[in-house]
Amino acid sequence: MKRFFAVTLGILTAIGGFVDIGDLVANALVGSRFGMSLAWVVVVGVVGICLFAEMAGRVAAVSGRPVFDLVRERLGPRAGLLNLAASFGINLLTLAAEIGGAALALELATGIDYLLWVPAVGLVAWLVMWRVRFETMERVFGLAGLALIVFLVAFFALGPDYGELGHQLTHNPSDDGAATYWFYAVALLGAAMTPYEVFFFSSGGVEERWTRRDLGVMRANVFVGFPLGGLLSIAIAACAATVFLPRMIEVDTLGQMVLPAGLAFGQIGLALVIFGVFAATFGATLETALSSGYSISQYFGWQWGKYVRPREAARFHATLLVSTIVAVALILTTIDPIKVTEYSLVFSAAALPLTYLPVLMIANDPDYMGDRVNGRLSNTLGTLYMILLMVVAVAAVPLMLATKAGQ
Amino acid sequence: MTGRVLHAHLHLFDRQVVRADGRLLCKVDDLETEPGEAPYVTAILAGPLALGPRVGGVAGRLMTGTTRLFRPEEDPAPRRIPMALVGEIGSALTVGGDVPEASLERWVREHLIDPLPGSGGADPGLREPRPVRRPEVPARDRLSSLVGRRVVDRDGAPVGQVADVQLTQDGPLLGETTQALRLSGLVVVPRHTGQLFGYERGPGGNSPALVRAVIRRLHRGSRFVSWEQVADPGDPIRLTEPRAALLPLAELFTRGDASASG
Repeated sequence: MKRFFAVTLGILTAIGGFVDIGDLVANALVGSRFGMSLAWVVVVGVVGICLFAEMAGRVAAVSGRPVFDLVRERLGPRAGLLNLAASFGINLLTLAAEIGGAALALELATGIDYLLWVPAVGLVAWLVMWRVRFETMERVFGLAGLALIVFLVAFFALGPDYGELGHQLTHNPSDDGAATYWFYAVALLGAAMTPYEVFFFSSGGVEERWTRRDLGVMRANVFVGFPLGGLLSIAIAACAATVFLPRMIEVDTLGQMVLPAGLAFGQIGLALVIFGVFAATFGATLETALSSGYSISQYFGWQWGKYVRPREAARFHATLLVSTIVAVALILTTIDPIKVTEYSLVFSAAALPLTYLPVLMIANDPDYMGDRVNGRLSNTLGTLYMILLMVVAVAAVPLMLATKAGQ
Repeated sequence: MTGRVLHAHLHLFDRQVVRADGRLLCKVDDLETEPGEAPYVTAILAGPLALGPRVGGVAGRLMTGTTRLFRPEEDPAPRRIPMALVGEIGSALTVGGDVPEASLERWVREHLIDPLPGSGGADPGLREPRPVRRPEVPARDRLSSLVGRRVVDRDGAPVGQVADVQLTQDGPLLGETTQALRLSGLVVVPRHTGQLFGYERGPGGNSPALVRAVIRRLHRGSRFVSWEQVADPGDPIRLTEPRAALLPLAELFTRGDASASG
């Protein structure tokens, strides 16, 4: 019974923690412009993140080594440093975007300008990372993020035209060019497979001291929790396709993105969805800030983690503090958080192979894994995804320039 | 007697170093070797002064330069962890004994983390005494300096460059029980193809098939040189045999890794 409870709790946390500002923005944007015609990318992305999160989680459980350890160990100091610079920069952008998203949710709830909320969000996030236990932190915000299920319920309550949405699955309803379509496909893939998710997932496994015995729970989280989280992403896109696409409205603010829930359930729906957005973005603020600390500490071999007291991981906690301050400062320049999100997604997509190749290699190395090396299915899919990710990485930035970031 | 066979790049460099109680210490940024007839590994080197030269370029110089700036000594050396303290070598290296922590960690703790409320920090008056820096050891060779060196055969014809160094744990005794890792061979690649990933050597790391095929293709023509075949370990490294007599790397594991490791 206790075991069942632990598995369920883990799955619920994974669902609630899956959606962040990137998924929210990319899906709402894509839903309003391309209907359901990019839903397949979310499916591809979710399969990919399940595949690599499972490998990273398995490596962490069996050998105790998190992802950035593997990156440095397999790529060597030079390519590892390049990856660190790229990942750290993208992480910082994502962190800024998440802080901005949480502040925007608070603006929607209170009417007070988001810029006034930004320092408060940053301070509270830092306090949580400074004092709250890892498990508590992950559980509370993961579960609160479940409020986003309101998107799924709202979709059915809105009485959508299922025939039309079904038709969109295979036919692009927009008259934008192919380049724009593919640009958003890359952004959606970046949203679903953001590298910080595997940094956080595998480091979290070490924080919670997973062993071989936890492999079952870990797999349940990944293979049930992540796809259901992906379903929430698709629901966000479907809501936008139902509400905005027929009226030719292009979504570009968070206020618009939460509207479908309001249309379906009035004030209560709106309150729930704003709460959900806040919980999801605030939870992701913690995840990205911690990931920046994890990646740099794991590259240089510093003591990291919340499983020791802050003073025993001084450089790690200093990194958390400094990244949070820099991200807050970035958003306070009044740069549009939604724009920051879009850019962070594209750069994430471009950096994917650098992170996932070492994971794939080590998951096959019996030196680390003993008898828990990849099976045939993981390797076939892993190889296919490596090819896909390399194509995406090459295409991402040129597509961004060619389409002026999807204008 | 045959000892355990490791490859410096594949099994040691860039791995995490962990204290016996599980706390993380540093990375294996480089290895220090005792030169001589049968050179062997004497210590793990860690910190920016060891990592910087391996990273190279502007980033590497910046790393070493900044560190030199803040170190009081005339000619600062990287942190040294004697190999005698190293216990298990696996996905991480475990070290026993009392290893001092990095000075940056200490500085950040004292000046940034401890003053923050709720750090669980000690009373500032009760600071732990500053650890005494061990006396500098005379500069020995760094193993990473071998990597990338040109290799020529007996007649001076180029063979390629060193990509990895094979180590065998049958060197002189360090401390009471551990035998030193002796330099026992070189992996030589014909052209600059970057990092080897272990796919050339087996038995580990043989899948997925496509990755293996790509990496083996990149490193085709790689050779294995045993230390006995090295005439002069200078720069370039001169061998005692002609190029044709060298063992192709692919044969290394079919021939002997299975029997040599243990």
